[in-house]
Amino acid sequence: MSWRFRPYGKKRGRRRTGSRQVGRLGEAFLSLLFLAGGSIALYQMLFSLILPEWRASRHLVEQSCHVIGGRVLTERSEDEAFVRYRVELQMRFQIDGQTYEPWGYEIKINRVYFDTAEEAQQIVDRFPADTERTYTCWIDPNNPEVAVLVRRGRWWLWLLLLLPGSFVVIGGGGVIYTLLHSSTSAERRAALAKKAADLDLFEETPAGSSAYPHIPSSTQVTDSPGTELAYRLPINASRGWRLFGILLLVVFWNGFSWAALIVALNVDAGEDRVWLLVGIAPFVLIGLGILVMFVRQWMLVTGVGATRIEVSAHPLFPGSTYSLFLSQTGRLHVHSLEVLLMCEEEAIYEQGTDIRIATESVYQESIYRRQGFDVLPGVPFEDRFTVSIPPQAMHSFKSPHNEVRWSLLVRGDVARWPDYERSFPIVVYPLGGGSPTNDPARSRGDSP
Amino acid sequence: MSESRITLQLDARDGEAADRGYQPGETLAGRHQVELARADDFRAVELSVLWYTVGQGEEDFGVHFFERHARYDQTLFEVGRTHSFSIPLPNSPLSYQGVLVNVQWCVRVRLFLPRGREMVEEVPFQLADIPSTASVDS
Repeated sequence: MSWRFRPYGKKRGRRRTGSRQVGRLGEAFLSLLFLAGGSIALYQMLFSLILPEWRASRHLVEQSCHVIGGRVLTERSEDEAFVRYRVELQMRFQIDGQTYEPWGYEIKINRVYFDTAEEAQQIVDRFPADTERTYTCWIDPNNPEVAVLVRRGRWWLWLLLLLPGSFVVIGGGGVIYTLLHSSTSAERRAALAKKAADLDLFEETPAGSSAYPHIPSSTQVTDSPGTELAYRLPINASRGWRLFGILLLVVFWNGFSWAALIVALNVDAGEDRVWLLVGIAPFVLIGLGILVMFVRQWMLVTGVGATRIEVSAHPLFPGSTYSLFLSQTGRLHVHSLEVLLMCEEEAIYEQGTDIRIATESVYQESIYRRQGFDVLPGVPFEDRFTVSIPPQAMHSFKSPHNEVRWSLLVRGDVARWPDYERSFPIVVYPLGGGSPTNDPARSRGDSP
Repeated sequence: MSESRITLQLDARDGEAADRGYQPGETLAGRHQVELARADDFRAVELSVLWYTVGQGEEDFGVHFFERHARYDQTLFEVGRTHSFSIPLPNSPLSYQGVLVNVQWCVRVRLFLPRGREMVEEVPFQLADIPSTASVDS
């Protein structure tokens, strides 16, 4: 039993984690900082600038008037170091038979000032005193002595609220998150989340997933029927992404290093040019090395030809045996072709600010091996064999940071080509949950 | 009584070895009792059956069963009395002792006391009997 505050992390596997409580305090402090800063800025902008302008312009009513005079007013700072100018026009209008002649130009809150008297005078000149000419002005209905000729609405001021608003949202969200986490247990939060997930009517949950929690969906396999057996196994796409990553590296590295080389060859650096080229040469050589690696990988993917595996049933269950069909296309002289049943564990963890992934192979069994044969164009190599899942095998398992995954790995040793490996993920279910023979997924196994 | 205490135990299973794991679908039965130093210390008590991961990766966990009794809500919980529970176990995830990934099951009672204090008592159990695995040299 324990209720003590834990200032340090606990030992987890081979490493020690940070203290969750200390981390939560830091998060709370940062969230409060965001919330306070955002709220103050939001309040200032809203109540000092935006709302007064909006209220003022909304409050005024339209009125016909004549301009009967104009002037430029000078405003000085207290130490007289700073001078600015503004415009005032005198308007004349009648309300209920009474004549008013107030001075004004625009709403005080968005008043425009000029650096020079000449600039301000230009505005005055645009409204010459003329009792024949009628303008639309805006007056305060409660006090007609307050009137303006220009009612400017700066709509874009509202957009400025997005900046402090985002701080308030992020900070407020963080505070709520921290409060929820500190006032409820992890079990309660998880139970509520599970209940919410169960109520999500629009979420596409694969069949059987509620009966076998935390086992990856097998729909990716069962969606693809085979030509010889029930299902065609999808190939692991991670190699394709790795190839794409190498391509990006090739483009950027070689782009920069070759650009540097061209500049070095053309620049007038005198005797220093040799040293410049010597400095750039390693980068160019590394770029060429990456290019060779990419070409090699690309040729492996495209030149060896497609590998296909089909399985008689899916998902697979421990202790059962299933038929497999292997097909290899291309134009190859194969020294050896092997299929392995593999089980790997993967753990995702944070180390400092990095997120790291550790992988460990925990089961590996050769289930098929063929040596010394040729694959001809248009005549793919094809063979059938079986795979037995060990009776006490751990099922496939996936949680946000931990995974146990099963796969079939095809490993080829081909003449004039580098060795190649292709992985086909499979899903292994646990025994249980009713009689295996009553399970429709299992009924297709060859020897339940 | 000098201090608050939680007692939690699983029922013995007839004809089963103590170290044999529960099978998926089997019922996990047990009892728990909460005793308090002061009667008004009780804020809430939670009973949960859950799994969690242990190993190199960040800890993940999932709650299979959860029940909460709070002092001020309508749920009935009698302090000092022994409460029985009987919970059917799920098909997965099974208990597992791997190299990087370990899955452990437990039944846990969490007692909430005044001033944010908590007491936790948990009893681990095995779901199925998967043997430990070791790393494979490739």
